[in-house]
This record gives sequence, structure tokens and C-alpha cells, in this order.
Amino acid sequence: MPEIILRHVTKRFGKTAAVDDLNMVIEDNAFITLLGPSGCGKTTTLRMIAGLETPTEGEIWIGGEKVFSSQDNTNVPPNKRDVGFLFQNYALWPHMTVRQNIAFGLENLKWDKARIAARVEELTKMLKIQEYLERYPSELSGGQQQRVAIARTLAPGPKVLFMDEPLSNLDAKLRTEMRAELKRLHVDTDSTFVYVTHDQLEAMTLSSKVCLMEKGVLQQYAPPLTMYLEPENLFVADFMGSPTMNFIPGRVAAVEGKKVALHMLGAQLSFQAREALPSLPQEVVVGVRPEFITLNQGGGLPGKVYSTLPAGMETTVRVSVADSMVTSVVFGGIDYPVDSPVNLGFTGENMLLFDPQSGKRLAMGSL
Amino acid sequence: MQRAKASPAKRTLGALKGFFSKPANVILIVFLVALCFLTLYPLILLVGETFTVHAGREARATDQLVGAFTTYHFDKLLFTLNDGGPQGFTLSNSWIQFYEPLMNTLAVSVTASFIAILFGGTVAWLVTRTDMKYKKFVSAVFVFPYIMPSWTLALFWQTFFRNTLVGTGTANGILAAVFGVYMPEWFVYGYFPISMVLGLHYAPFAYILIGGILRNMDANLEEAATILKTPRSRILRRITLPIVRPAMLSTLLLVFASSMSAYAVPVFLGSPVRYYVLSTKMMSLMNTYPGQGYIIAAVMILFGVAILAFNQKVTGSRKSYTTVTGKSGQVSLIKLKKANRPIAVALLVLMLLVAVLPLLSFALESVTIKAGNYSLDNMTLEFWIGRDLDYLDQGDSNGILLSPKIWRALGYSLLLAVTCSLVAGTCGVLVGYGIARRRGSRLANAVNALSFFPYLMPSLAFGAIYLAMSTRIPLLHGFVLLALIGSVKYLPFASRSGVGAMLQLSGEIEEAAVIVGVPWWKRMARILFPIQKSSFLSGYLLPMVSCMRELSLFVLLVPTSNTILTTMLMQYSEKGWAQFGNAINLLIIAVVLLINLLVNKLTGASIDKGIGG
Amino acid sequence: MKKLVALLLAALLMLSGSAALANVADEVALGEAMTHEELLEKALAEEGSFVVYGNTSRIATALEEFTALYGIAGEANNLKDAEIYIKLETEMSGGAKGADMVMIQDGASLKSQALEMGYLVNFVPASVKDSVGEEDLNPLVQQYINKVFIWNNLGDNAPAITNVWQLTEPQMKGNVIFKNPESEQVNMNFLVMLTSPEWSDKLAQAYESLYGTPIDLSGYENAGYKWIAEFLSNCTFGNSDTTIAEDISQESAQGKIGLFVLSKLRSSSVYTDNLTVGQYKATEEGTAIEPFSGFMYPMYAMVTSNASRPYTAMLFIEYLMTSEGFAPWGKSIGAYSTNTQVVPNEGDLGIDVWKQTLVMEDPDYILDAYEDVYSFVLKYLQ
Repeated sequence: MPEIILRHVTKRFGKTAAVDDLNMVIEDNAFITLLGPSGCGKTTTLRMIAGLETPTEGEIWIGGEKVFSSQDNTNVPPNKRDVGFLFQNYALWPHMTVRQNIAFGLENLKWDKARIAARVEELTKMLKIQEYLERYPSELSGGQQQRVAIARTLAPGPKVLFMDEPLSNLDAKLRTEMRAELKRLHVDTDSTFVYVTHDQLEAMTLSSKVCLMEKGVLQQYAPPLTMYLEPENLFVADFMGSPTMNFIPGRVAAVEGKKVALHMLGAQLSFQAREALPSLPQEVVVGVRPEFITLNQGGGLPGKVYSTLPAGMETTVRVSVADSMVTSVVFGGIDYPVDSPVNLGFTGENMLLFDPQSGKRLAMGSL
Repeated sequence: MQRAKASPAKRTLGALKGFFSKPANVILIVFLVALCFLTLYPLILLVGETFTVHAGREARATDQLVGAFTTYHFDKLLFTLNDGGPQGFTLSNSWIQFYEPLMNTLAVSVTASFIAILFGGTVAWLVTRTDMKYKKFVSAVFVFPYIMPSWTLALFWQTFFRNTLVGTGTANGILAAVFGVYMPEWFVYGYFPISMVLGLHYAPFAYILIGGILRNMDANLEEAATILKTPRSRILRRITLPIVRPAMLSTLLLVFASSMSAYAVPVFLGSPVRYYVLSTKMMSLMNTYPGQGYIIAAVMILFGVAILAFNQKVTGSRKSYTTVTGKSGQVSLIKLKKANRPIAVALLVLMLLVAVLPLLSFALESVTIKAGNYSLDNMTLEFWIGRDLDYLDQGDSNGILLSPKIWRALGYSLLLAVTCSLVAGTCGVLVGYGIARRRGSRLANAVNALSFFPYLMPSLAFGAIYLAMSTRIPLLHGFVLLALIGSVKYLPFASRSGVGAMLQLSGEIEEAAVIVGVPWWKRMARILFPIQKSSFLSGYLLPMVSCMRELSLFVLLVPTSNTILTTMLMQYSEKGWAQFGNAINLLIIAVVLLINLLVNKLTGASIDKGIGG
Repeated sequence: MKKLVALLLAALLMLSGSAALANVADEVALGEAMTHEELLEKALAEEGSFVVYGNTSRIATALEEFTALYGIAGEANNLKDAEIYIKLETEMSGGAKGADMVMIQDGASLKSQALEMGYLVNFVPASVKDSVGEEDLNPLVQQYINKVFIWNNLGDNAPAITNVWQLTEPQMKGNVIFKNPESEQVNMNFLVMLTSPEWSDKLAQAYESLYGTPIDLSGYENAGYKWIAEFLSNCTFGNSDTTIAEDISQESAQGKIGLFVLSKLRSSSVYTDNLTVGQYKATEEGTAIEPFSGFMYPMYAMVTSNASRPYTAMLFIEYLMTSEGFAPWGKSIGAYSTNTQVVPNEGDLGIDVWKQTLVMEDPDYILDAYEDVYSFVLKYLQ
């Protein structure tokens, strides 16, 4: 069973590095998402692992076999890496019917006819596309095309499945549906999934581990909740979660053991760290998830409602405090009148302190 | 397990191995080397010829041995600015032989380019972006002038417009004889008709190139402007034109290069009024002072290179082969409303004039015994189906449909055209693949430029160099030579459509097959080619059509004048055997149309769909 | 690469070029001493394709008749003279097999671009040696072809000239039609010959006899140059001799005169009745056009130095020198066999008359004077 190891993998296009010194281990049977804004190198990484792109430097191992090494010029071609690849635009062959699309790769692997027919049958049944077998891709809807593409990718039974933003061309409803299917598929096929997306929600909901990249550099590689609650730096904190985290500038007034006196939002607050503190700079950024800001009628920091966005299940409220603006998400649909006074409170242990200079996380704790 | 670091040599070797494991790289390197040999090496030979003494008059004039080094050709052709003539510079050898023909060449080529763009571009716009009537007919007929050998259009011009007041002043053409209309000399001979004929001949080019862009242009671009209540004229000027500007520019440059090397048209329409251009001068010099002829060839090529450089600079390597593709298939056609019928009818009439009337004229001239007399008793089908025609003294003893000579030439022409189309077309697909896969790399850019280069080489000059090259390479003669030069010359058509088609295919389409281990040739044959079949086939069709009607390229290289139809036709035209000539011309046009029709019916590709479409 | 090419070239030259060169010349020397029967025997023994280049379309007919007679098939190719010289050079230097025999015009090019280069070998069949004039033996002239002044005889302004200087008069401007000498070498050769001492003297005399005053050269080198300048200034240029003949024969072409191939009068597309041949009229009236009524140029027949079938080539040349071999040209006017045994064409004048009234080529003079006259002529083609 395959485990994928990347060591010092670098890919340069001309002078710019698309991927810079990436080290990563993808455990067997994992569902990994490569996440990041467009141009961050996530697709390049995926293609390098699949063998569609040649790294400039580094080593890649799949299932204990060295498939690429810039040192001794190993470069196993994609078809020998026992992987499947699901493309963003499906890449269905427009001149072949659904059946031919699925069967073509198998014919190429010299499967005998009966076995191919059986496999096509099995897959189309699993993906509920059996009635479209003789149709051409252009005669199918986007969702159906997506299923055909999945069937084609799964057909040879790859141990590792790579997916490059496979859902980005679908409408919101279909996307949610397909997400569920994919997660189910992961279990059914019993293989390793590596999934590229720029949608943090998709990454959060699907994967067992998220790898967040920016400008070719790995930012954090951790399970989704860890990423959400304990981001390593400002970029990760900002990228994960919607609405985004509040970043409130603060000034360190005094440090005492694990306790920090902070001057922020026009008030004096006390921050209690979970662990021992490193030396703090004078200016810090305090990161607070919107759901950890409560709105109370009495007690807390005084503010004024700027706007309210009730979504039914929860309500997003923008509040102006002192000369800053903070976002809070509260449970339930409450329509706060604009400009009405509210008081802010902070709950939970997941308040974060960041160094505004380096962007690094300095501490976690409560306010 | 070897843990030591690999040596640098081994790393380089490995890198090379990695490099060549990609088919795209292999293709590009092979074509880089081949194209260097086929385009740059002959250039070097050509330059050598301009400094060499040739047998005959040159040896006498220089008093040197054949093969010796000399600057005589340059001195004579370029720097004899006052050789004691009565009027100094304006009658100096260099002015007569080089500078004035150069000016005329530039004037004709520039004018022809603009005529082609104006005419072809307008028709392209009408056909692709408006709801004009009779589009299908216009589109099909519009390519006729391109199929005809260009000088036959010139002969048509002459037989139609000439009259007793111009040229030799001996006979009236159809217009004067039948309608009593006497056109002035500037209209019948010289700068104007040469530019017109070349412009009309290459207008389908503009139509194909500009039409291709317009057809693929995202309608949203225009629609967005429409919503902003921009007037139509402004949309055309500010949105549509800028988008097709690169295509217009390439058309301009292509037509310019082609016109520059046109040789037969100025012979027929220029020489009666003593209007000379570089190509005619080159041809006559080739017979007497080939060194000077080679200099003219080199100058033409210099222009080609300049054009290419200019094209690269203006459009940039990035834009030069990206087509504006839009997937919003819905194209909203501009409603011409009341103007629809008048415009359509005007265009139809124009079409009849430039595309159909010449054909009728050719047919008429091919059955008329004595020129200019269109009564029935002066007509005969002998030139088509007669036997024992020696008494006519018109070059053949059988009507063209019964002449073994003609059938042999037709067979050879077809063989040549098919060979060139297969070689050029296939190379075009491969080059397209290589360039599209390694897009933007220096290697791809180099091959792209090189594969485009032959097009800018004036055919005549290109033929001259290959002639020079053939004397050095023993195997290079006869059919091999013709097939080679034809393939190289028309590779640009094929590579353009190849690159265009490949760029339209996302890499994923191929990678989806790579992942399951489909070998490269099978990916090409089973996946890539079938998907873009019609584009690729256009890449085969265009070289074929061009080959069938090509003269300048082959004229110096064919084993004998009656080897292929066009040289035979040219010989007949030059000897004044009008009836056979016109019949052969019709035969060529009919064969090309038949092929086009056949390919179109079988595969959906056609010439008017064109390059990169 | 270069080395390889050079090596290959050298090898090929050794194999075909130089070796064949010596061989063919030797064989031709042998052949000149042979009787017709011996030639035929040797020719029949040869194998491979027999290829002929000719810049006359009728060579094909001649070859067909030849095949019918001896059972030796061949391939006749009709090419322009300039093309033949280019081909000879490329084929000889490239070591490619081309023609076994050529029929070609333009003596100046023949001398400098083929004979001096050793591409062609002269062959005089023993059987006709005595019936061909000395001046036509080396190189062997198979026939002469003439271009003469012919005018449209309709209307009352027919340009019935008796002196070539009449063509230079102002009223003839635009009425004289000629093929551009730049596009046909023999026309150029004719103009070059006019500048020779012989012809410039004759032109000077003709001038005096027409106008009664000695010629005023006014800056021209001699009378030949003056005539060329004034003649070309009055000319318009036709595309081919055929179209010139057709055009001048039109009813609408009154007052036009041309200098073109006499044989075009046979052409079905020409209204022959509307045309008058200057020399015919002069002969009838017992006068002449002073000092010439056109020009005549030879058509040579030679063996190529890389011929693979030299004896067949010789046999064919011998055949072309006979009445049968000349027959394709002998049906009508405008072609003249050099063999005195061949009966002149019906309705035409004999070759001797033409030789006296027409300008003949002198390759040596043409080569010497070519560059100067060419530069001069160019100025009047503008």
C-alpha cells in the first residue's frame, strides 16, 4: 500500500520557483488536499507526483519505490506509477463515446474484452451513468461528464488517485452532492486521494489532511481542524475559514509569566497564554475567529452595529469598535438594527497572537 | 544502493535522456536541425553564388575563370549609378536593373496587400459576423481566385480589358469589342492591374486568416459593448478591428511576401508598358548574369527576414499564435436589415466578376480559334477533344482531354501535390504538437520562426537557391527536389494550422491518455488527430491546393516544362497558345475544386475554413 | 557533412562525369567515321532511356517518327533555351543523368555556357558532311529559323517599309511590335549583331540611301546603336511571337508592323491574309528592304558529354539532317534545313536568299560586345 514521500522537491520555470523545497509525507489511504490561491504551485505539485511534470530537484517516492530523483535521474513514467488522474476540465475524449472513453485505457493495458466489459459495467453502475454508455461527451451535462471522467480514472483501479479541482466546473448544488460522493468513493475504493482545490471549505470538509501552499512554499500541513484553530501564520489563519478571522492590532503593555496585558480596541485586555511565551514584540496582531466574539447586551467592549447579515442558521454582524471594525458570527437569525449599541465579549481558548512582521504565530490562549 | 553523488557528466547525460524522453523535445530538435539545413544552409550557398563567376557572359565580363571570387555582380547591379548614359542616374544600370524595379515591387506588393485585406477582410466580416444572405455561396466561390494560378487571372484581365488604344494597340478585348468600353492604359497595364490581380488572388488569404479569428471571437466582447450603447461603427473600430489586427498584420506580411515574388503576373501585365519589377529582372538576369540574379534573390529574402522580424516584434511571440478563442458558442449576428439585400447582391456581382467571369472567359477562349472573334463559326472543341491537331501548330497534337502529355503532367502534378501535402501536413501536425507542448520555450520559438520562414522566402528566390543547392547534393534532383521544396515551402500553412489546432486542445486531453500508458504515436493517432481532424486536414489541403497551382517555386526546378501542369500552362501562355492554355487552366481549377469537394464531403475540412480554424 | 558531400561529389564525378566525358568524345570521334548502317547497329545495341531536350516543340514529332522508323523509343522534352543551359550546368555539375542529345538555339550561350564547359560534343554525320555548308558544320546547325518584318496590309496606312530606318520615324511610334529582347536571347543577339562593324556600316549606308544625307551619329557609337535606340523607342512589346502574330493580323491592327517568327503565319489563330511579309513583297518586286528584312538564327543539334546512349544520339542527329527528319518543320514556311539535299519548304524562299537578306549570328562578336550592348539596350527598354 502506497505512501507518498516528497523530499526537497523544487520546480522552477525559468527563474521563478513554482514549488520551492517541498517536503511532505502522504500517508497511505489518506485524503489529502493541496490548498492555496491560484498560482501557489499546488497543481504543479500534483502533476509532479503523477509524473506529468518533471521536478527540477528533489526526490519522490511512491509506495516505497523511488519514482523520481534528480540525483540519479530516476524518472518513472506516469503509467508505471499506478496512479489515476482526474482533470479539472474532465479531459474526456470528445470523439469517443462514454464506453470508449472508459475502455480505451483498459484496452491499452491489454485487458481482455470480457474483463473490460465487466469493469465498464461495474463502474457505470457505481457512478449511475449506465444509460449514457453510447453517448458522446458533448451530449452529457456537466455532472454526467464529471462522473464519466471519474469512471475513466477509476477504471484501471489505481492505488492513488489525483484530482485537480475536479468540482470547480459544477454548480453549487451539484458540487455539494459530488463532494459527498467523492468522500464515499474514497472509502469504497480503498485508495489514497490527493486533491487540489482553492476552496478552503472543500478542503475542510473532504480531507484528512490539508497542505496549504503559498507562492510555492508549504505553509502548513495538518488536519483541517488544526489548520483552522491553530494556524501557523497569518496567511494560513486568513486563508482558512469564512468569514475570515478578525485581525486586530494590539500593543503589548506588559508581560507577566503567561499573562500579557494588551492594549487593543481602545481598551486594556488581558491575554492568558496556554504555553510559555516567547519574547514578544511591541506591536502584535490578535487573531480572533468571528464565532469567538459574542455580542452581549451588557458588559464587555462597547461597539456599534455597522451591518447585519442574517443567514438563518447564523448571523454575521459587522461591529465598529473604537476605530476598528470586527466581525462576529452568532448562532440563530437575529436582525440587529443598524447603529444599535452592542457590547463585545471574547470566549474560548483559541485566541491567537501573531508577529505582524514575520506573520508567525506567537501564542495561543484566551482573552 | 549507491549513495554517492552522481558525477556531473552522468547528470548531464541523465538530463539529456530526460529531455529526449519527451516526444515534443525530440520533434523540436529534429525540426530545428532539418529546418536549419533546409532554409539556412541554402541561404549560405546563395550568398556564395553572389560572389562567384559563372560560365558564359559573366566570365567574359570579368575576364576571370569560372568559379573565381568576384564583386562584379554587386558593382554592376547595385553600384553602377552613373555609367555615362545621357541622363545620368535615372538611366544608370543600377537604377534600371535594380532600384526602379525595387520601388515598383514595393509599390505593387504594398498595394496588393491592402487590396487583399480590404476585400478579404470585409467579406470575412460580412460572412462571419452578419446575417448577410448567400453566405455559403460567397464563401465557396471566394477561394476561386486563389485556386487559379495567379497569372491566368492576369491573362483574363488582359483579354477582358485590353483595347486598341493601349499596349500594342492591336486588338480589342471583350469589354471593348462587346460593350464598346475603352479602359485607359493605367487600368489595363502596369502598376494598377498588377496590384489588383495580386490583391484579388491573395484576398482569400485575408478571408481565411481574418475570418478564422472573427469566427472564433468571443461574441461577449462585442455584446458587452452593445450593452453599453456603443454605436456599431465604434464597436467595429474600437473592438473588432483591434482584435483582428494581428491577423490583418500577418495577412499583410504574407501577401506582401507572396506578391514580391510573383513573376508571371508582372510579365503579362507589366512588360507591354515597360513596367518591371524585381522578379522579372531576376528571371532575365538568371539567363545571362546569374550572379546578379542571385543578388536579387538575396534581396528578396532579406525583405522576407525583415518582415518576419517585424511581425515578431509587433505581434510578439506570445500573440503570434494565440487565437482568440471563445467557448460561448452563441454568436449574435449583426442584422444588416434593409441593407442586407443590396450588400448581398453587390457582393454576389463582385464575386461573379472576380471568380466566375474569369472561368467563363477561360472556357470561351479555350474554344475560340481566332482571338477576339466570338462568333460560333470561329469556335471548336478541337482543343479539348480533337485529334491530329499538328496543323494548328499549338504545341500539342491532341485536345487536352485526349493528350497523353497532359494526363502525364496532371498525374505528376497530383503526385507532387499529394506528396507535398502529406509531408508538409504531417510535419505540420508534429511541429504543432512540439510547439504547443513546449509553448514559450526558446526551442519552440526558434522552430516556430524557422517553420514560418519558408513562407516569407519569395518562391522564385527559394527555387533559385534550391537549384544552387541541387548542384552540390547529388541525390537532390528530379522528383525528390520538387517534393522537398514544395513540402518546405508549404510547411508554414501546415504548421500554422497544426499549432492552432494543438493549442486549442488542452494538455489534459493528452495527459489523460499518458496516465494510462498510451504510447505517444497512439495518442497522436487515436486521440489528438481525430479530435482536431478538420483543422489538421486543412493543414494538408492548403499545401496541396497551393502546390497544384504553384509556378514560381517549381519553374527553375522541374525536369522539363511539360512535367507539371503549371509549368506547361506557363509555357503555353508564353508561347501564346491561348486555347490549350485556357483549357489546361480550367483543368487545374476543376481538379482542385474536385479535391476540395471530396475532402470536404468526406471529412468536413475545406480550404475556406482555413488556417488554424 | 560538408566533407561527406564533397566526397560523394568527387566519387560521382569520377564515376560519371569525367569518365563519361572522355568516353563520349571518343565515341563521337568514332561515330563520325561510321556509315549509317554502322551507327544504326551500335545504336540498337545501346540500352537505357534516350532523352532529348529541344527548344522547339516539334522535336517530339521528329522523335516519334524516328521511333517508328528504327524502333528506338525516346523522350522528348520541350524547354526554353535558357532552361536547357541551366539544366545542362546543374546536371553536369551534379552528376545527374539528363539528356543524351539537345537541340538548341542562341549560339553565344552555346559557345560560352556549353561548348567551352565541355557539356556538349559536336557530331557531324559522315553521310551529310558534304551537303552542309562549311560554316554550319562546327557546331552543327540542323536548321535556321527566321524572324522577319511582317505588317498588317489592311487600310491605306499599311507600313510597307523598304528601309529599316523607316521604323525609327516618329509616325511609327507605338506601331512596331517586338518581343522584349530581355525575355528572348535571340532577339538580344540580333540587336548585338547590329552594332558590329559590318552591320553598322550597312545601316549607315541604308540611312544615306533613304534620306540622302550621311548619318549624324549625334553621340551614338555607330549607326547600329542609333538604330537600336530609335527602333526600341518606337516599339511596344508583345508577350510572345504567337500573340504578336495574332494581334497584328487583326482587322483592328491597321498600321502595325512586327518583327517575329515567320513560321507563325501557319498558325490557325492568325488571319494570314491580313499580313504581308516584307521580304516576300520585296522579292516579288525585285527590290529589298534595306539593309535587312529581319534576322535568322541557327538551331544546333549536339550530343551531350554525359550521354548514356551516344550512338542513338548520333543516329538521331543524322536523322534530323535528312529530309524525313526535317519533315516536322518542313510542312510550312519559316524553317530552313542546312542540308542542301533537303528541298526548301513550299511557298518559302530558299535559305540562300534569306542568308543574304537577314542578320546572322556571330557568337564570337556577340560574346565580346554583349555587356556593352546589353547595358545600352536596357536604357531603351525603360
